Amino acid sequence: MTLDIRGLSKFYGTFQALNEIDLSVGDSEFVCLLGPSGCGKTTLLRVIAGLESFETGEMMLGGRDLATIGARDRGFGIVFQSYSLFPQMTAAQNIGYGLKLRQRPRAEISARVEELLALVRLEQFADRLPWQLSGGQQQRVAIARALAVQPALLLLDEPLSALDARVRAGLRTEIRQMQKRLGIPTIMVTHDQEEALTMADRVVCMSAGRIEQIGSPAEIYARPATRFVADFVGSSTLLSAARAAGFGVTPPPGQGDSLFALRPEDVLIREDAAAAGRVRSITFLGNVSRVEVDWQGETILAETHRLPGFGEGASVDLSLQPGAGVWVQP
Amino acid sequence: MSAAGKRVARGLDTPFEERLFQRVVLLVPLAGLALFFLYPLAIVIWRSLLQRDGAVGFGNYREILALDHLWRVVWNSMVMSGLTALICVSLGLVIAYAMSRSRIPLRWLVSLALILPLLAPSLVQALGLIFMFGRNGLLNYLTGMQMQIYGLPGLVIANSMYALPQAVMILAVALRYADRRQYDAALVLGASPWRRFVDITLPSLRFGLLSAGFVCFTVTITDFGNAAVIGGNYRVLASEIYAQVVGQMNFNMGAVVGILLLIPTLLAFYLEKVAAQRGGTQEGAIPVEPDRWAPRDIPLWAASYLTALFLIAIVAVVIFASFVQLWPYKMSLTLKNYNITTHGGYDPLWTSLYASLITATFGTLMLFALVLAQRKMSRGPARLVYLLAIIPVGVPGLVLGLSYVLSFNVKPVFPGILYGSALLIAFCNFYHYHSQGFLTMVTGVRNVPRQLEETVTTIGGGVWANLRDAIIPIMVPTLISVFFFLFMRGMVTLSAVIFLITPKLSVGAVSVMRLDQAGSSTQAAAFSVLIMLTVLAAMGLMRLLLLAQARYNGRPGKGEIAA
Ligand SMILES: Nc1ncnc2c1ncn2[C@@H]1O[C@H](COP(=O)(O)OP(=O)(O)OP(=O)(O)O)[C@@H](O)[C@H]1O
Ligand SMILES: [Mg+2]
Repeated sequence: MTLDIRGLSKFYGTFQALNEIDLSVGDSEFVCLLGPSGCGKTTLLRVIAGLESFETGEMMLGGRDLATIGARDRGFGIVFQSYSLFPQMTAAQNIGYGLKLRQRPRAEISARVEELLALVRLEQFADRLPWQLSGGQQQRVAIARALAVQPALLLLDEPLSALDARVRAGLRTEIRQMQKRLGIPTIMVTHDQEEALTMADRVVCMSAGRIEQIGSPAEIYARPATRFVADFVGSSTLLSAARAAGFGVTPPPGQGDSLFALRPEDVLIREDAAAAGRVRSITFLGNVSRVEVDWQGETILAETHRLPGFGEGASVDLSLQPGAGVWVQP
Repeated sequence: MSAAGKRVARGLDTPFEERLFQRVVLLVPLAGLALFFLYPLAIVIWRSLLQRDGAVGFGNYREILALDHLWRVVWNSMVMSGLTALICVSLGLVIAYAMSRSRIPLRWLVSLALILPLLAPSLVQALGLIFMFGRNGLLNYLTGMQMQIYGLPGLVIANSMYALPQAVMILAVALRYADRRQYDAALVLGASPWRRFVDITLPSLRFGLLSAGFVCFTVTITDFGNAAVIGGNYRVLASEIYAQVVGQMNFNMGAVVGILLLIPTLLAFYLEKVAAQRGGTQEGAIPVEPDRWAPRDIPLWAASYLTALFLIAIVAVVIFASFVQLWPYKMSLTLKNYNITTHGGYDPLWTSLYASLITATFGTLMLFALVLAQRKMSRGPARLVYLLAIIPVGVPGLVLGLSYVLSFNVKPVFPGILYGSALLIAFCNFYHYHSQGFLTMVTGVRNVPRQLEETVTTIGGGVWANLRDAIIPIMVPTLISVFFFLFMRGMVTLSAVIFLITPKLSVGAVSVMRLDQAGSSTQAAAFSVLIMLTVLAAMGLMRLLLLAQARYNGRPGKGEIAA
């Protein structure tokens, strides 16, 4: 079943939280909603879940109009950042909750709960109450609870944000593998680009209630469509057409006001006492160093392998990798 | 493209059963408030305008305001409550400070002493004072010293004892919200302890002090029990209203005095609200650690211990008196005081128990329903409900009781049938303490994460699943607290129910007063002891339940009424 959203808008009073959203999510696809705080990711997710209303546009699931189906009857699974487990129920009871509501036979429930406990690797924690579990374990229970009812669509609102970095990285792959195995279409909200790029089949980049670009992680990174995407996903130096001409690139015809987005790793840097560039700062990042260069009044980001052989204030020359940079809408 | 004019919200389907549920949980409590609070209040106002000649106007007001003695009564009330507020705030500050900023030993003793006044009808303080300092008091008996306890001094002391725990509670909360960094900064700048107190502590306590003062003022200006027992010839508004209504059967005049009594209370209530709004605290403050500093601690501790001992001694003397043969002439001990046969014997105690259980059950249900309804409402209407729910705190019990007589002791079958029933007493007590219960409920319902409810909905649960699995389990501590709060208040309150008793139906607190007025003060003491035991048992049960609940859920219970 595919989810199809067309021209969907949502208002809070006069404030427009979602602006003409077009999005479709295919069978067993993992889609990440990525964007800065307040851009409407959660709102979109809640509208899809049926927890918020929308004003214009339409939302169909496998040909059925979702606007006429209440949140209760959509048969989706949802997981929040805050775990939201029932404090009075054990892990197993939490997971079996949806099945119990559906009045399935007890044997079926316990079999399914076993299965899911194994899936999220919490077999030995079945009888613990939520407060006796770590954050990561609680979130795994919440995910298992959402999966137990075989949802038509799995909705995750920043499920990893409350966890520490190591647990987060582990759970990231775990969620992704689980989703691949079960083939449940999934929408995950995140404001962490690394999370979006590593997990998603498709990334939906949002800003101020609007979708800026939809594409595979590679497309989003390598060919950002707008200035916002180029800036928000990874880092870019944005050059005007006139400046870009200095590197020998020109905008495609009819797009003279486009900006040239340049990834730091595409900028080659070479020490040259006669050159016009001046190193403003060097940030050591481990495998690479990020170098800020003053270049004809513009600041350009470049990267070197490990530590560069020059220091701050050195004169450097810049050149571009072949095929570097893309033109983006301003 | 989407014109702002006509936007229809879609995609948020609320099933019929949920809409029905929301209706019911809103309308039932509102109907209760309308019938048992707004309607009686309207009747009081109406009756105060109904003149002797049958016309409607301000005649009653003119008549009353022209009475010389009324102005004296108003003045008396102000002086009495003003003095009480002053004493409670200063003593309350000392005790609250000692308890939260110094490492006071025997902290439990002071806490215990402060619980005592909550266990019994307010007039037990007066009773104890009389046993201790009265004409036939222990002091006179042991030392021959004569003290004039009746009248203003006794009234102020008794009311102070009654109001002090509330002042301490408010000030302790205010002290808890201070930020340690301010103190550290001042210390680094070289400010002396006294300067730090004057420059940091006092300003930050401004609103707490104000609010404690108002609370003490309002709870005592309307208190009836102490005025009746120890007031002597010192007439206050509370005793005046009682005299007008019960003594002279002058209901309209009683209504006028009732309205007058509303003025200071509403004013204080309003000022306190304003103060509370402005006294906001910053997030993320680091609490101030209690420390030691002998020049400050020794006087603070001495004052705290003395107050605690005094409170304990007064209750102890009541307990002692309840076992005495013939106070103060035959001090040998006996149990015969507990054999009470006059004034209905122990029936009133059972009535109290029965009515308080109804108050607690009915009240907890109503308040729970109301917060459930309010939670789902949009902001404007939700504020309206909130306002309506907290108005009752501004209406003194005496006025509420009077309004019930005027509204329910009447001909038409429906309201009339309630008069003289324990049910009416139960309703009266509930609406009297509606606001405090409501505020606790609101705090409690805020602990229920919305996302937990949304999870239930998404998984496919309806209203009942939400209540059973998301809301109630988290609200259990709050529900327990509200239930017992209403129960305990119902057991001890006097000023509202004094108008609702009939020759056939009385309550415990009234019995204490009646027994005392009939000269059987040791029996009054015995009866008080039994009320205190009941309330103490309820309090113990509540603590136990909360503890068990917290243990099961593995965290301290939230939303408790600090008692
Ligand atoms: N109930 C509401 N009433 C009015 N405005 C709201 C409401 N909920 C959200 N908004 C507004 O809608 C916008 C989008 O909010 P949303 O919660 O979807 O952001 P988000 O992208 O999830 O951000 P974050 O990453 O911080 O979670 C914000 O500007 C927010 O202030
Ligand atoms: Mg969000």
